[in-house]
Amino acid sequence: MLEIKDIVFSVPDLDAPEKGAQKTIIDGVSYTFEQGKFYAITGPNGSGKTTLAKLIMGIYDVTSGSIFLERKDITQLGITERARAGIAYSFQHPARFKGTTFRDLLSIAAGTEDEDKLAKIVARVGICSLDFLDKPVDSRLSGGEIKKVELATTIARNPRVAIYDEPDTGIDLWTIDPMVRLLKREQETQGTTTIVVSHNRAFLSAADTLLLIKGGRIAYAGDLDGAAELLKDLSACGYGDICEGESDVRCHR
Amino acid sequence: MFDAIDKKLLKAVADLEGIPKGAYNIRKNGKLLGREISANIIIETNEAGTGIVVRINPGTLNESVHIPVIVSQAGLHDVVYNTFIIGAGSDVTIVAGCGIHCGGSKSQGHEGIHEFQVEKGARVKYVEKHVAMGEGKGKRALNPTTKVFLAEDAYAEMELSQLGGVDQAERVNMVELSAGSSLLITERVMTDGTQTAVSRNEIILAGDNSRANMISRSVIRGDSRQDFYATMDARAKCFGHIECDAILMGNGSNETVPSLKAKHPDAELTHEASIGKIADEQLMKLMSLGLTYDEAVNRIIQGFLK
Ligand SMILES: Nc1ncnc2c1ncn2[C@@H]1O[C@H](COP(=O)(O)OP(=O)(O)O)[C@@H](O)[C@H]1O
Ligand SMILES: [Mg+2]
Repeated sequence: MLEIKDIVFSVPDLDAPEKGAQKTIIDGVSYTFEQGKFYAITGPNGSGKTTLAKLIMGIYDVTSGSIFLERKDITQLGITERARAGIAYSFQHPARFKGTTFRDLLSIAAGTEDEDKLAKIVARVGICSLDFLDKPVDSRLSGGEIKKVELATTIARNPRVAIYDEPDTGIDLWTIDPMVRLLKREQETQGTTTIVVSHNRAFLSAADTLLLIKGGRIAYAGDLDGAAELLKDLSACGYGDICEGESDVRCHR
Repeated sequence: MFDAIDKKLLKAVADLEGIPKGAYNIRKNGKLLGREISANIIIETNEAGTGIVVRINPGTLNESVHIPVIVSQAGLHDVVYNTFIIGAGSDVTIVAGCGIHCGGSKSQGHEGIHEFQVEKGARVKYVEKHVAMGEGKGKRALNPTTKVFLAEDAYAEMELSQLGGVDQAERVNMVELSAGSSLLITERVMTDGTQTAVSRNEIILAGDNSRANMISRSVIRGDSRQDFYATMDARAKCFGHIECDAILMGNGSNETVPSLKAKHPDAELTHEASIGKIADEQLMKLMSLGLTYDEAVNRIIQGFLK
């Protein structure tokens, strides 16, 4: 069970005319994710979905509020400690490396270099092929390929809570359904609390619960049918492509 | 034949546990320590007595030559001139490398001047590792010069690395490519403390359809300094690429100057260069897989230099 309580995330507003102004990106969000359930998070670009995910992973520190994992307060824990506590996050824009291979990432994630064990994980994930293991995770991978690698590393952690941030971007049509089935299977067999940020109907309808984020708040939580009207509104949304923003990992040392 | 230090150095520079298989020439403190030739590979001391000539017979396939150098004598600066003639149509691997063990306060060094003639259609892989170790305070210097001439349709792959302990390095690589030949150089250098390393590369694409690719990766720790210069000089319809990345980890400095010269209208030259700290997003990814900050830094550097 993952519980977030009144979390707020504000950053200095550099566009504001007055000095010291703050911009609130997550504006008091509270929610309890039940263990082993499947959640979909959707909402317009720039509404705060990625920020929320990064706050849960510990990549950003909350301005106020708290986060509990299995009733333990993890608000003060860094990325590493949260990862070790059982949270995993598939980035919307995965990092690219020079020299580091899929095998390297997978063996870090799984905590083993054993060939058989790694092959088993790749087989379990299904959507990435074994020949990928020794490919560097660099700029030569396509958008879809790197998203598969990213997803595989999350699954390899056997997390208690897995957050997938738009896992379907760049993925071909034929792989979406296998991907949904994979995440469902992981949820069911491992009891993973699964949170998928997506606009894709395939994920929205696979979820037990749908959360709609708007302007840094939860605008709706419930089943897909109940969200139909709200979702219709969103199709007219005019947000442009939003960048990831900046963050300084050195604070987490 | 080998003492404990020799064994350690040979393991480090040539991955050797003892006497290598196939042809070899082991040089220690300026003198020949052992040599073996094969039916297809002849090794002789050159006329001036300043180095060796390695001749690979045309058509020799899948053979290797090991030519490691050990410098463990205090104060010694060893200079050697080696020539390699890689016969037409052969395919061989040459493992060179120099290990310095410094036990005293005097400076020690090695300068290897290597010349390669890679004949028509021959393929050669040249692996060179530079390592220095020992508790002595003397400066350890390694200044290699490698000149390569690639005949038509020849191929050379050069894997050059210097991953620790060398205080001062000045490397010069000069390559000339004839028609249809290709070249791949990968260079990996890590410096720390107040070490310095300079790499100068001059690649002349002289023949039609020649291809050259130079990849350099530098890790600059502490207060060390590394400079990298590479020129692709295109004189024919050819393809050339330089990729040089430097990671700064402390207060070190780096100058990277890739240079492209097209002297032919059908030359195609590109380069990619970067200098900077390890990207935050890379660290965050590895930390989100359970590594600490320091572990993440190490893994990224390991991959980068692999
Ligand atoms: N660290 C940050 N500093 C400043 N602004 C940020 C930061 N992170 C996100 N933002 C901004 O917060 C808003 C929400 O971004 P994000 O969470 O990425 O949205 P979504 O994932 O829903 O598209 C955007 O306006 C974005 O520009
Ligand atoms: Mg997002």
